[in-house]
Amino acid sequence: MRISINWLKEFVDTPGNTQEIADTLTMLGLEAEEGLDTSKLKDIIIGEVKECIKHPNADKLKLCQVYDGNKTLPVVCGAPNVASGQKIAFAPVGSILPGDFKIGKAKIRGEVSQGMICSESEMGISDEHDGIMILDTTAKNGSALVDYLNEHSASIELDITPNRPDCFSHLGVARDLAVKIKSHLKTPEYKKREFITNKAEDFVSVVFENADDCPRYVAGIVKNVKVRPSPEWLKNRLESIGQRPINNIVDISNYVMMEMGHPTHIFDYDKLGSKEILIRRGKKGEKITTLDEVERKLSPNELLITNGESPIAIAGIMGGLESAVTEATENILIESAYFDAPTIRKGAKALGMSTDASKRFERGADPNGAESAFWRVICLVEDVTGGEWVPGIVDPYPKKTVQPSVLLTRAKLDLLSGCEIEDTFIVNTLSDLGFNVNGKSIEWKCTPPSWRPDLEREVDLIEEVIRIFGYDNVPSKYHYSGIMESHEPDPHKGISTIMSILSGLGFTQVFNNSLQSRRKVSILNILPVKVMNPLSDTMSHLRTSLIQGLLSTTDYNFKNGWPELRLVEWGNVFEQKSPGFKGIVEKFQLSGIIHGNITKNSVHSKKSRPASFLALKGMVDALLLRLNIHNFEFKSEADTTLGFTNAFSIKHNGETIGIIGDISSKFGSTMNLDLGSTFGFQFDLNKVMALANEKVTYQSIATYPMVERDLNFVVNEEMLVGEINRTIINNGRSILKKVEAVNVFRHESVGKGKKAVAFNLVFQSSSKTLEDKDVNPVIDEIIRVVSKKYSANLR
Amino acid sequence: MKLKESIESVRNLFRADSDPFPKNSESTEELRVKYMGRKGLVADLFSSMKDVSSDERPLAGKLLNELKQEIASVFDSHKDSPDDPMKIINGESDYTLPGLKFPTGNVHPLQQTMEDIKSIFMNIGFSVTYGPEIDDDFHNFSALNFPPEHPARDMQDTFFIDPETVLRTHTSNVQIHLMEEQDPPLRFIVPGRVYRNEAISYKSYCLFHQVEGLYVDKHVSFADQKGILEYFVKRMFGSDAKMRFRPSFFPFTEPSAEVDIWSEKRGQWLEILGCGMVDPEVFKSVNIDSDVWHGFAFGMGVERICMLKYDIDDIRLLYQGDMRFLEQF
Repeated sequence: MRISINWLKEFVDTPGNTQEIADTLTMLGLEAEEGLDTSKLKDIIIGEVKECIKHPNADKLKLCQVYDGNKTLPVVCGAPNVASGQKIAFAPVGSILPGDFKIGKAKIRGEVSQGMICSESEMGISDEHDGIMILDTTAKNGSALVDYLNEHSASIELDITPNRPDCFSHLGVARDLAVKIKSHLKTPEYKKREFITNKAEDFVSVVFENADDCPRYVAGIVKNVKVRPSPEWLKNRLESIGQRPINNIVDISNYVMMEMGHPTHIFDYDKLGSKEILIRRGKKGEKITTLDEVERKLSPNELLITNGESPIAIAGIMGGLESAVTEATENILIESAYFDAPTIRKGAKALGMSTDASKRFERGADPNGAESAFWRVICLVEDVTGGEWVPGIVDPYPKKTVQPSVLLTRAKLDLLSGCEIEDTFIVNTLSDLGFNVNGKSIEWKCTPPSWRPDLEREVDLIEEVIRIFGYDNVPSKYHYSGIMESHEPDPHKGISTIMSILSGLGFTQVFNNSLQSRRKVSILNILPVKVMNPLSDTMSHLRTSLIQGLLSTTDYNFKNGWPELRLVEWGNVFEQKSPGFKGIVEKFQLSGIIHGNITKNSVHSKKSRPASFLALKGMVDALLLRLNIHNFEFKSEADTTLGFTNAFSIKHNGETIGIIGDISSKFGSTMNLDLGSTFGFQFDLNKVMALANEKVTYQSIATYPMVERDLNFVVNEEMLVGEINRTIINNGRSILKKVEAVNVFRHESVGKGKKAVAFNLVFQSSSKTLEDKDVNPVIDEIIRVVSKKYSANLR
Repeated sequence: MKLKESIESVRNLFRADSDPFPKNSESTEELRVKYMGRKGLVADLFSSMKDVSSDERPLAGKLLNELKQEIASVFDSHKDSPDDPMKIINGESDYTLPGLKFPTGNVHPLQQTMEDIKSIFMNIGFSVTYGPEIDDDFHNFSALNFPPEHPARDMQDTFFIDPETVLRTHTSNVQIHLMEEQDPPLRFIVPGRVYRNEAISYKSYCLFHQVEGLYVDKHVSFADQKGILEYFVKRMFGSDAKMRFRPSFFPFTEPSAEVDIWSEKRGQWLEILGCGMVDPEVFKSVNIDSDVWHGFAFGMGVERICMLKYDIDDIRLLYQGDMRFLEQF
């Protein structure tokens, strides 16, 4: 909502300048921004066009003599509306306009031009670029334009929260301001008219289908209006808040809405086609062309104003084109109604419309405001258009809205605010806000004003008191009594540990979008969760895995020239396991991927080592061991639908906690990536965090010497080293502490289709120094078992 | 000692055999088997340990191990680089060369900010809890006093899965889950990912992370809320951070406020969080007696705080995964 400072000052005396008023309103909860940034206009001054003739060498240009308060300068101007005698915004030579546009001395078609006469768009004031900006004739030549603008059209932009429909008006904003700065609130000048016989009833009657949709409908008639452009004062007011003047009738309706907040609608009475107004819901198949010349398909979602037969307006949203006021209009019907807020909102949403009227009605209008706005319009119409009011008013208001009173207690106010606010402040504040306040010190019975539908409960009143008191005046308390809990405060504590381990292993953490295209999420055989109203097709589904995002990020960086990439992400992935909300499963995962090289080229090593499955396996080993997860093993995984090939599931005590392998080429081909080999892992993060939390128990350090032995077996190529390793361990009795393959050797001397695998075995006892007689039988047994199981020969 | 002599002779033999060091892997392997194989010379020496008297055994063991290490280190040193870039002449070395390169990774700035926020609140006794990203209308809206057909619903552009299921627009849904499951007093923060159906630009993204806070007890006041949030702001942005509380509106709090901090650099107030006293309607929806229990709730955008902290001017950078950005943190 744009608020004109001059307009605001009609209702409240404030000495403040625009910035101070904006700050005060902001601290009242009406977030304000200065409407116009004048910081770039300080070079521009006010000038007067002393003379204006056609440019001798150009048809569309004019040659002007501009007086800048000091001297007269020649200026070439192309605007159609420039004329002698005008006061204009003048940018002298050397000044800089918004957009860093510097004015220089120029020769245009042979004529010297020293400066520029500016349009509003050139100065960034508005989009108006059809002509130059023409100022008031009282403007002082040579003075700064900024001062003129501040005086004439200073405005602020307010961000009105949904609970404050009353502040969609200058009067409403002025009321808050007046209460805060303890100033008197002035109200618009108009009076309720008296009449003896209600002649309006001869012209119109109003019937409701359902009074809940429209509790109040005020209507009246003005005859013999003259529709023409509005007088200057009215135009200026509307323009100062960015509204385009149309004609005096429409402008009055808009003016009253911006002034008092209540939307009214004015019909051409002679085009209504009946004397009866029937307010009812739309019917399927019904249509209306609205003021904006768009044909709207109606339904029972919308409330309509009809002439008994067909719709003439969509209630509270927009009038119909057919019954609109035109230059030919003579007699008018003024509607000032109070519509039910949810009804209007439903209709506006169904039609995809949001208008100045609908915004006010759907937040809750003022049932009494309907009547005052009506009289305000009548007065203005008579004054401005010369029309004659038909004495009388049609005002069916079957169920009067009664504001229930609310009890405000000292105890609750003190408890919630945490500070003590004086009785007089409370009573004065609420009274000034429009409450009817009765009672004293311990409790007050307060009846809120009809324009504040948001004040229904004691807490609402407490907020009003603290709000005006000033949040900054409530002292902050730095000591509080509270509970002490001894459980681990953060169930995701493990994540920061995991991230620090992985960053030590060279992984960089990323966060990717959870919203992805259907194509991407469908790479895996998982039914994705679909978004009903996506931003675009590329974000229509929720991710089914973190791999797609990691691959996109890898591709992005690879193309930027990063040859070595290790990326990791944690987050939720989603699956639609069965239909409906209950069938949605969120899985908490950790995934990483490596690509390119894993060592950097340097002077020390010209050969960079490429990423590989085993490189990643080593990293995963390191991660798990650092998390104190020990008894895990890699089991070959045959399920290729998981997105990995050459995959191994990572098991802990028989339970799968993750998977590791080559990233399936399906990803690359579907996502059009040309990355070559990538290797990845995926963990169930909840399981990993649970295991990482397990208690570590200290094992006493064995002090007896270790005995190392090497065994070199020749086996057939297809024998798996990991299997042999496991067999050795399983036969190591209690003294074999560690086995590791240290060399794999292939050569003719070993035999065709064979390989020699060297294992290093470490024996140690916790109770004595091992001797050959302890170790040899174990070694012999290992050799026997391995030889037999794998047809191995000792080399 | 006989063994000692044998050790020395094996050492000399190896030094002769390994200089020059074999050029191909086959001869290297042969050399390895000769000395380090199961029946190699070093293994022989180990097996003759049994003949050494127990007095001399520790010394013999030490010498033997030294030999084994020497041999192993020669094999190791010839694994990769044939010539040493460090050499200058006469055994002098060039220490101005770059060090060996080890990979480094980076923890995402959002993660770091999230950890900062969590630790500040955990310091003053808040616990942390989490909840679902997809939730029903009740937990995301209705129970938080967003009635159907209320304009407050327009404050948050929502992604729907179906008319009754949404991608949560705030982590406040967890407030409701928490109060359904636990009785007050409660003191929690709730970090998590939230979604808004807003066009993507430098200042908004279709999702972001939020930390919601909830503190419910018998005597929690607006003044307590101010104290706790001031503590947070000063810990996060420095004890000289300038801040203000200004009235605002959220359906689930009354009175409601927004907190701004002053940015000297931009010369303006910047909003960093919303807060307020828990609305009695919210307590009602989870069957907590609002005459007995009071509290406050707050919510902040982690991205916004992260961007202020590191002076990042485009939110999209946080989701692009660009290494040129991430390696700076």
